Amino acid sequence: MSVAAKRGWHGVALAVGLSLVCLVVSLSFGAASLSPGQLWHDLLAGPGAHSATGIIFWQIRMPRVVLAFLVGAALAVAGVILQDLFLNPLTDPYVTGVSSGAALGATVAIVLGLAGGLWLTGLALVGGLATLLLVWSAARRRGRVDIYVLLLAGVSASYLLSAVITVLMIRANDDLGAILYWLLGSFSGRTWTDVETALFAVPFMIVPLFFTKEMNILLQGEKRALELGVDVERTKAVLVVTAAILTAIAVSVAGIIAFVGLIIPHLVRLMVGPNHRRVLPFSLLMGAALMGVADLISRTLLAPTEIPVGVVTTFIGAPVFVYLLRRGRRT
Amino acid sequence: MTSDHHARLRILAAVAALAVVLLALAALAACGSSGGATSSASPSATGPVTVTDDSGHQVTLARPATRVVSLAPANTEIAFALGAGGKLVAGTSYDDYPAAAKALPKIGDFQSPSVEKIVSFQPDLVLAAGGIQAGLRAKLENLGIKVFVVDPSTLDGVYTDLTALGKLLGVSDKATTVVAAMKQRADAVEQKVAGLSRPTVFVEIYSKPLMTAGKATFIDNLVTLAGGTNIGDAAGSGFPSFSSEVLFKDDPDVYVATTGSMATPVQIAKRSGYSGLKAVKDGRVYVIEDNLLVRPGPRLVDGLEQLAQMIHPEVFGSPSPAASTTP
Repeated sequence: MSVAAKRGWHGVALAVGLSLVCLVVSLSFGAASLSPGQLWHDLLAGPGAHSATGIIFWQIRMPRVVLAFLVGAALAVAGVILQDLFLNPLTDPYVTGVSSGAALGATVAIVLGLAGGLWLTGLALVGGLATLLLVWSAARRRGRVDIYVLLLAGVSASYLLSAVITVLMIRANDDLGAILYWLLGSFSGRTWTDVETALFAVPFMIVPLFFTKEMNILLQGEKRALELGVDVERTKAVLVVTAAILTAIAVSVAGIIAFVGLIIPHLVRLMVGPNHRRVLPFSLLMGAALMGVADLISRTLLAPTEIPVGVVTTFIGAPVFVYLLRRGRRT
Repeated sequence: MTSDHHARLRILAAVAALAVVLLALAALAACGSSGGATSSASPSATGPVTVTDDSGHQVTLARPATRVVSLAPANTEIAFALGAGGKLVAGTSYDDYPAAAKALPKIGDFQSPSVEKIVSFQPDLVLAAGGIQAGLRAKLENLGIKVFVVDPSTLDGVYTDLTALGKLLGVSDKATTVVAAMKQRADAVEQKVAGLSRPTVFVEIYSKPLMTAGKATFIDNLVTLAGGTNIGDAAGSGFPSFSSEVLFKDDPDVYVATTGSMATPVQIAKRSGYSGLKAVKDGRVYVIEDNLLVRPGPRLVDGLEQLAQMIHPEVFGSPSPAASTTP
């Protein structure tokens, strides 16, 4: 194996190791302090445990941590895809308007009194995917999808849907708090059912790994990619739809969590360079780890009350990002 | 001088004249509207009444109010409870109790009532709420409208407001009766729970995220009066979010969800992991109408009595069947 390849593998091992450490730490700590002995005992007792600590570990803490990891990974991968398709470093996964559509679906569910169970997640998902369809059709002309029209259509859709949500919020007095809290993004009260929904995102996280060559070439622009024989339209279609579905699933289970999808791709590129063969898997792992740690902090710092997780992701992400940017500029 | 200069002087004179006319009109308008309740009417037989509201301001009326606008559902309830519902000329779009309140003309919602609409009803007294409506008081008083802010934080504060409003609405006798009745019911509850052990209680305001009522809320106050201990206190004041892990660690004796959670006791019991909770195993999961616990008005005592039944069924009798997990 060449030196570069070996270094590549070391990097991946490091990333995987870091993610696993974050996972273990997230599972070990929480608002209810469980001793290491207790944790080990509960882990061995399995999901059917009926003891109070067993229920805390298996029914409350674990689904929440697993969900945070899944959502973090989904948003990070979506962020990588969209930043590179739009060739714009300020792109986050919410730019396609899908998140606003999902938020509208959730708001409608709350206002109709359907907040319990699968209705909220289901309606959010429907809202997100419907918005994708709308925005996609708006940008599609003669078999081609203009990526910038897509961006503008997505942003317009975001504004429009946000306005509709605002109207619903104003009319909804009693539900106002519920809607606001949902919009802030949170993993509080999430269960294994939500994890089941989020698992649908996993295949979509793997899809871009088959397009790393095309994504690398697309960094040089669509024209160049066409010259080099890349099926640009098909690649764009697959990638945008993948990113949108990842975002829709993430938002429908956790609300709108800022910053992860924007920051992680940059952080990762600063560390491993622009090759998507590295950027994608690293972003997946780092996104998961960051979200897991952010959720850990959000649920333990001020226990028994919780801080919205989007606040924590921003507080961690922004300074780290600025630091890395300054370091990166020296090379 | 040049004709150019003369032209400019003429324009300046015209503008000055216009300004004077506008100022005169404004002065007339101001004079006209500040008439209000104090200057135009001759003092009544009972004389002017001055009370202090919950924002610390003094409110003076020369005679009892006859045209009252309510800016909060709780204030509408208070007016009706005092027998002064007939004096209400407008309410908010959320007024739903008693049934007659729904028929009132609306001045908008609780968060942003329309000042124009309020003025259009020519009220001589406006019943405002605190918090988000704090800025309204100044605006309305600038337009010469009397405002009484209802913003109590305890049951005793509610009694004070009822008494003060009784004076302003000219129904002092009725107010005394209503307050006495409320006090009697509240005291009865307090006496019966004195000396009893205090079960731990969790009040669920919302489920996803899990939110509870902390310190400095009526809910907290009422749970304590009803003979319970609110575990939501640990999370701070107001309506903070609450960790599910801590809920399971604390394992409260009684689980009370408000209607805001949109769940029935049976649905709550079926939630992931909830079967391990003591309250679920003992069948002590209840749902209570949130308006009975958050509206600072006469129905707080109804909420208190219902809570007392949920917390000490051995003394007050079990809550009505619709409220528990047993179908």
